Amino acid sequence: MTVEHLLDLLQNSFIARAVSKSDHLVGAALQIFHIIGFLLLLAALLLVVLRAFGSALVELPLARVRRDAGRLALAGFALTFTSGLLIFIATPRLYVHNWAFLLKMALLAAALLVQWTLVCRLLQREQTPRLLGRATLVLSLGLWFGVSIAGRMIGFI
Amino acid sequence: MNDYVPPPLEGLYAWALTVESAPLGVAIAESRFAFAIIEGIHLIGLVFAVGLLFLIDLRLMGVLLRGVSVHRVLAQLRPWAIAGFVTIFITGTLLFWSSAGRLVQSPVFPIKLGLIALAGLNALYFELVIARSEAVRQHPWQLPLSARLAGASSLLLWTLVIIAGRLIPYLPTWQTTL
Repeated sequence: MTVEHLLDLLQNSFIARAVSKSDHLVGAALQIFHIIGFLLLLAALLLVVLRAFGSALVELPLARVRRDAGRLALAGFALTFTSGLLIFIATPRLYVHNWAFLLKMALLAAALLVQWTLVCRLLQREQTPRLLGRATLVLSLGLWFGVSIAGRMIGFI
Repeated sequence: MNDYVPPPLEGLYAWALTVESAPLGVAIAESRFAFAIIEGIHLIGLVFAVGLLFLIDLRLMGVLLRGVSVHRVLAQLRPWAIAGFVTIFITGTLLFWSSAGRLVQSPVFPIKLGLIALAGLNALYFELVIARSEAVRQHPWQLPLSARLAGASSLLLWTLVIIAGRLIPYLPTWQTTL
């Protein structure tokens, strides 16, 4: 099966048809959920980074901040991922040829990889991260910010 | 006619067209990526400003970070949130500069500005009155209803600001509304 086949299948699926046939305000609502979920996710990540740098919530143990923020980040990710998927499957062909979308997906893959491998491991240690750890956290936040800029560009290409 | 606005807004619309045709506005509108990149930075500013504010609101409501006193949360997160608001304000001004006419034609845009003003007043009232009240100062862990309500109002108002902002390109202009 080729990619084109797969895209056709997606685009003709029941859910995709439901989204694309619906009022354009359904699309707007999905965009709003996508942004709010993304905001929650990034605010949670930002909070953990600020804590790890000793800039905020220093009276709470890192593990505690990680747990509180982790829940919020998961909720935000679920919201932004679900709405993003629905936006995508309604018109997948529109997106796969858009370089800003491809860049966003590449940055997203890198951000998730860094998050799951380096950042999670880093935050499991109790002590405040040193230089290399801090650089990793800045890199991770930078990748997420890259996702947001590339994502915002999709509509303007 | 493509540029109808209600009579009371005619002066404002004429001004918006002047703003839009100023060199900086034209430069942003004509550049291939400037508008999109400024939009992206606007979104990152939103993460610092509204994202962190959501966390403060959830703390006020007693949902998150209950282990830290409200005053400490505010003192530590406020500078970052303010930096975010400065970023949003600057990028927002640039975005307006390059598309002022279109924005004045949108009925949702003034609603967004009005909601921002309400959210600002809510924050000011919280900072100047509620946060300084005896009830909050003496019980920073178990917050009174007023503080929890201020948090909930802020959460609601900023959510509405985001909704209104995102709806601008989706909703009709004055011309098609009236």
